[in-house]
Amino acid sequence: MNATELVNSTALRVAGGLLTITGTYLPWATFVLNDGPYPAKATLEFFREPFGLAGYRAHLLAFGVAALVFALVAVPGQGRILRALGAGVVTVSVLNGLWITVDGGGLGAITVSDEDVAFGAPVALVGGVLILAASARGRASDVPAWQWRFPPWWERLLLLGVLVLLLVLVSAVLTSGGQGGAANVYAGAVFLSFLAAAGAGMGALHASGLSSWVAALSERHRGFGIGVLLLCALALPFTGAGTEYWMTVAANIGVYAAAAIGLNIVVGLAGLLDLGYIAFLGIGAFVAANLSGAAASRIGLDLPFPLVMVISAVVAGLFGAVVGSPTLRVRGDYLAIVTLAFGEIFVRSAQNDIGGLTGGSNAIPGIPPLSLFGHGFDEKLVIGGVRVAPGVLYYVLIVLIVAGAMLVFANLKNSRLGRAWIAIREDEDAARAMGVRTGSTKILAFLIGAMLAGMAGAFYAHKTATVSYESFRFIESVTLLAAVILGGMGTIPGAVLGASILFVLPEKLREFSDYRLLLFGIALILIMRFRPQGLVPDTHRRAERAPGREEPTVVLPAVLAKVGR
Amino acid sequence: MPDQPTVDFGRPLVGEPVLHAAAVSMRFGGLTALKDVSFTLADREIIGLIGPNGAGKTTLFNCLTGLYTPTSGSVAMRGIPLPPDPARVTERGVARTFQNIRLFPSMTAEENVLVGRHVRMRQGALSSLLHGPAFRRSEAEAARRAGELLAFVGLTRSSGEPAGNLAYGDQRRLEIARALATDPEVLLLDEPTAGMNAQETAATRQLISAVRALGISVVVIEHDTKFIFGTCDRVVVLVRGEVLVEGTPERVRGDPRVVEAYLGAPPGGAGGGWHG
Repeated sequence: MNATELVNSTALRVAGGLLTITGTYLPWATFVLNDGPYPAKATLEFFREPFGLAGYRAHLLAFGVAALVFALVAVPGQGRILRALGAGVVTVSVLNGLWITVDGGGLGAITVSDEDVAFGAPVALVGGVLILAASARGRASDVPAWQWRFPPWWERLLLLGVLVLLLVLVSAVLTSGGQGGAANVYAGAVFLSFLAAAGAGMGALHASGLSSWVAALSERHRGFGIGVLLLCALALPFTGAGTEYWMTVAANIGVYAAAAIGLNIVVGLAGLLDLGYIAFLGIGAFVAANLSGAAASRIGLDLPFPLVMVISAVVAGLFGAVVGSPTLRVRGDYLAIVTLAFGEIFVRSAQNDIGGLTGGSNAIPGIPPLSLFGHGFDEKLVIGGVRVAPGVLYYVLIVLIVAGAMLVFANLKNSRLGRAWIAIREDEDAARAMGVRTGSTKILAFLIGAMLAGMAGAFYAHKTATVSYESFRFIESVTLLAAVILGGMGTIPGAVLGASILFVLPEKLREFSDYRLLLFGIALILIMRFRPQGLVPDTHRRAERAPGREEPTVVLPAVLAKVGR
Repeated sequence: MPDQPTVDFGRPLVGEPVLHAAAVSMRFGGLTALKDVSFTLADREIIGLIGPNGAGKTTLFNCLTGLYTPTSGSVAMRGIPLPPDPARVTERGVARTFQNIRLFPSMTAEENVLVGRHVRMRQGALSSLLHGPAFRRSEAEAARRAGELLAFVGLTRSSGEPAGNLAYGDQRRLEIARALATDPEVLLLDEPTAGMNAQETAATRQLISAVRALGISVVVIEHDTKFIFGTCDRVVVLVRGEVLVEGTPERVRGDPRVVEAYLGAPPGGAGGGWHG
């Protein structure tokens, strides 16, 4: 980049930042939305009043100011930071502009209509595009690698602060927009906008090298970091997300996160595509449903939960080994079809109540809630004078289960077995030539992955109280697989993040239910196009996807295209 | 043995016989890729396997390592037949590299070598899960060994690099280190210098001699004549799936049939570029 270009792009960036800020202060809608406040602020003032800064407009203002600062102050990684900010401005203004347009019945809603003018959305959008365009020019600078060191205890304190901020962010993301549904039609839009803003903010942090530095920090204080992270996860009920509703959502996410970690062993580590994986969650759930004293169960046993969980895991694991056994002969796409068939067999058998163990279309209702020392997990709880919402104990339990699954995954990955799995994924023949018994190793991947899902299934049965075959359809397998791929194959945070996003979205986007799968599919395609390595890529895979290397075929979009519902 | 080689070895075997292929034939449908190939590899010997393209050299390697099951004939290691399973062949002490480099590209150089160590480690699923003291000892031992091997092939500095990012010549050497990690008695090298420049070829030559000095016997498929005649104790010439000539480099070099098979012309330029 020569000097003139540099000046030009700086001017462009400044202009973009200024336009974004201007757009933020302009009115956004020429009319008052009928269905109540958006987003949670007074309607009329919010859209007409130029200074109604809350919600997404506050995010935009922050991005605009940040863009202005980083346009003028040269910092390492400047280009990438601005790119993330620009993308954030564009996404947030498009999302909200679009929503106001659709709800207001036309482009008049965000431009001119009956004497009223409201150019907030277009102006902010142009600002964002300018920032993006100016930073897309020339070569992107590298993400700087900071080497700051502080005394150990300061570093730990810093880490603690970061993790607490993370907790606040998680709580904010979870509750943003409020509970979706008929009562609150803005939940989805507000949530998406917040998610986009949070994503862009994270992107900017990553571009600045700060998140890598924090990652290095947590690596230096690994034990401490993990402990604090666990505490933060357990502290979620004490934030704004501590209501029964959000605790239920969080517990459901936990179930899918644990299952996603199991699937990540099969798909992410061993590279075996499994399209019927949700069946193992189902098997675990049905086993638990039959062994926990539900009246509808034909077996009628009532075993203690820890034992039930072990039995569920073992039964699911055995089925996993059975499903995995064709891997001895079948590879790649063909294996995917075998697993697809297995998933279908499971759903159909459960639907038709084969063996009388699944209740068929009646499902198995009335699974008793878990209890500890006579205290039901679904009841209110008072700890030292602090009242905690019902369902918090379920949340705590699933956090521990997910933590256990993470430990299993991490330990296996860094072991002889984990290396053998990765070697099989990379080149099966070469792995065999190095003495890896590929057959048993692959079956072991299926077995262990299925056990984790079975464990999660046992929890799921008690949490939802009713286990029906409908929860374990093909689309659930696909969503779980998408969670793993979206988050980043072969990484723990990836699986958890992917599961969180994919299972929070339906909860939040209820009012878009007609378009939910469509949006979902588009989002996945975009992510696969622009970030094929996933949101939290494996350090290994990052190298693998370096330019010039052949990228593996992604089967997911094709699979999604076939999902009609 | 029914089909003992009838060729006169120019000099005695370096040591005890290690690997013996007896009348190995491999047919794919109507195509005969190998026909009654027999040879014996002795302790600490380096055999060069040469022949025009399509002569069956790599097929022979695949038969020796259990990747293919020979249509007839057998392969034995120290008198005991090898099973038709690459993993168990490796366990028995036969390691190989591939003509087209087949590393695990996204794993680091060290991890690649550790995969090679797999067969000499005994930690199962439960131990991998629990990370107990025995597990940690075994991992530390494997890591130490991997470090030694990377130093041996001169890749210490790249140990944390993903294998796919290494330079071409480094990848070839890493493949050798990975094969050595299996503690082989016999190492089969499939064109270890393909695509290398003269300097790298010379370094690889030294490396192979060093491998022999570790007490490992080597069979090497190679096109580079300087390499073959400078390094190998014996040369086996494979043409159209059959052993044409076997003997010392000098013998083979002077054999008119070899020259003809390669050049289709009378001798004169032998020793020069009879590259395929």
